[in-house]
Amino acid sequence: MSRMLKFKIKRQDSKESSPYWEDFTVPYKANSNVISCLMDIQANPLNSKGEKVSPVVWDCSCLEEVCGSCTMVINGEVRQSCSALVDKLEEPIRLEPMSKFPVIRDLAVDRSRMFEALKKVQAWVPADGYHDLGPGERISPEHQHVAYKLSECMTCGCCVEACPQYSKNNDFLGAAAMNQARLFNMHPTGKSLRKDRLDVLMQAGGISDCGNAQNCVEACPKSIPLTESIADLGKQASKQFWNNLFSS
Amino acid sequence: MDTHFIYRRIHSLTGIIPVGLFLIYHLYIQLYLHSGAEVYNEEVNSFYDSPLALWILVLVVYIPLIFHSVFGALITFEAQVQPSYHYFAHLLYWLQRLSGIGVLFFIIAHVWNAQLGPLVADTWGTHWEHLAEGFSDPETGLVTKTVYVLGILGATFHFANGINTFSITWGVALTPKSQQRMRVISIITFLVLTISALYALAAIW
Ligand code: HEM
Ligand code: SF4
Ligand code: SF4
Ligand code: FES
Repeated sequence: MSRMLKFKIKRQDSKESSPYWEDFTVPYKANSNVISCLMDIQANPLNSKGEKVSPVVWDCSCLEEVCGSCTMVINGEVRQSCSALVDKLEEPIRLEPMSKFPVIRDLAVDRSRMFEALKKVQAWVPADGYHDLGPGERISPEHQHVAYKLSECMTCGCCVEACPQYSKNNDFLGAAAMNQARLFNMHPTGKSLRKDRLDVLMQAGGISDCGNAQNCVEACPKSIPLTESIADLGKQASKQFWNNLFSS
Repeated sequence: MDTHFIYRRIHSLTGIIPVGLFLIYHLYIQLYLHSGAEVYNEEVNSFYDSPLALWILVLVVYIPLIFHSVFGALITFEAQVQPSYHYFAHLLYWLQRLSGIGVLFFIIAHVWNAQLGPLVADTWGTHWEHLAEGFSDPETGLVTKTVYVLGILGATFHFANGINTFSITWGVALTPKSQQRMRVISIITFLVLTISALYALAAIW
């Protein structure tokens, strides 16, 4: 008989129901990843006891670690399941949904809070309207070097899942949104909203909720220098704080 | 900008100014333990003799310290335990909170033991006496010594690591390189303060 892989999956049937663990065994295939195993379970939804169960639900899209939608907690650590090769994982492979977001079903979670946070910090370049705005400002290679790295964020949620300051019962914006605020605050056109972004960052749930645990920067699959971004915003906020006190 | 941000920034600032500076001054004065009872008492009293002593104690030490402690404890209880992430900075994050709480208990015990207790019981002698007698007590001496060593380690760690997080909070150290430099500064601070405080205590061990 061929080698079998053991999975322990934390399941939840609906948004309101309580979670439970279920074991699965999947035939081993060379170079398979967690998603390909979940696909096997979907094709043949039998649990380890051989009972027919509802197939496990998960999210994914790009399958190459750029969209962020397949993020889950694998053996206790948050990461993308599409790039989690089973050969490198200890068995039984434990799959859990991220704990900081509402579960939709099984491993699929609702990351709306992250997108709301991006809206709150206005993580965009304000360039509305149809009229010709002329050519954009030139961007130096040094600027581009920094900005490109920051722009690689895929809002996957690893940083906030690992963060001890981000929890279901607070409204911390989290490292990803703060990093985007830094990105757009340095953009020549995005800069025009700088003060608005800082105002949001200087409210409850903003930058002062960060406790400098630096789990975010360790957990980020894109190696974005999040601590640098947080320190940079800390400096911008310090300046704004000073201005608010003495020059406004 | 709302009060939350301002409180957090005041908390961060009070950790260095004035509480951290007071810690340095306080540990420095203890080195006079090596000069014997008379000089030590004189050095400590030179502060209490100042007409501003009570003002300085209340405004520069007690109020900022109480604010920092109460707010620090509140922050600690907001945190969510994340046991599966074994990163070094994460360990420091928890040690910062644990040492804060530990130091809080130590300061209460210490102020009671070295000042308030004798004052309340009307057995006040000299600073030296209360410290040295506590250390040489045949029954409780060892416990007192252990508590002092732990208290010192907690306070020096907390302050030294605090320098590091302070520099991120205020945006003093921006790049990974400058944060690395801050880490070196905070390690040196920890070593210098700890060694000097333990050396001071050796005088009455
Ligand atoms: C010897 C007395 C103390 C000194 C010198 C001191 C110093 C500091 C410093 C310099 C910081 C760094 C501020 C920052 O990260 O921006 C800090 C942070 C902190 N302190 Fe204290 N502290 C003392 C006592 C306490 C006490 C009694 C508590 C109470 C539990 C406490 C709780 C905290 C907490 C939780 C933080 C972390 C705040 C954060 O990272 O956001 N500290 N302290
Ligand atoms: S900053 Fe990194 S960990 Fe956080 S959402 Fe973006 S890519 Fe994911
Ligand atoms: S540094 Fe720590 S507290 Fe701040 S966002 Fe990152 S993980 Fe969260
Ligand atoms: S499916 Fe897009 S990151 Fe995994």
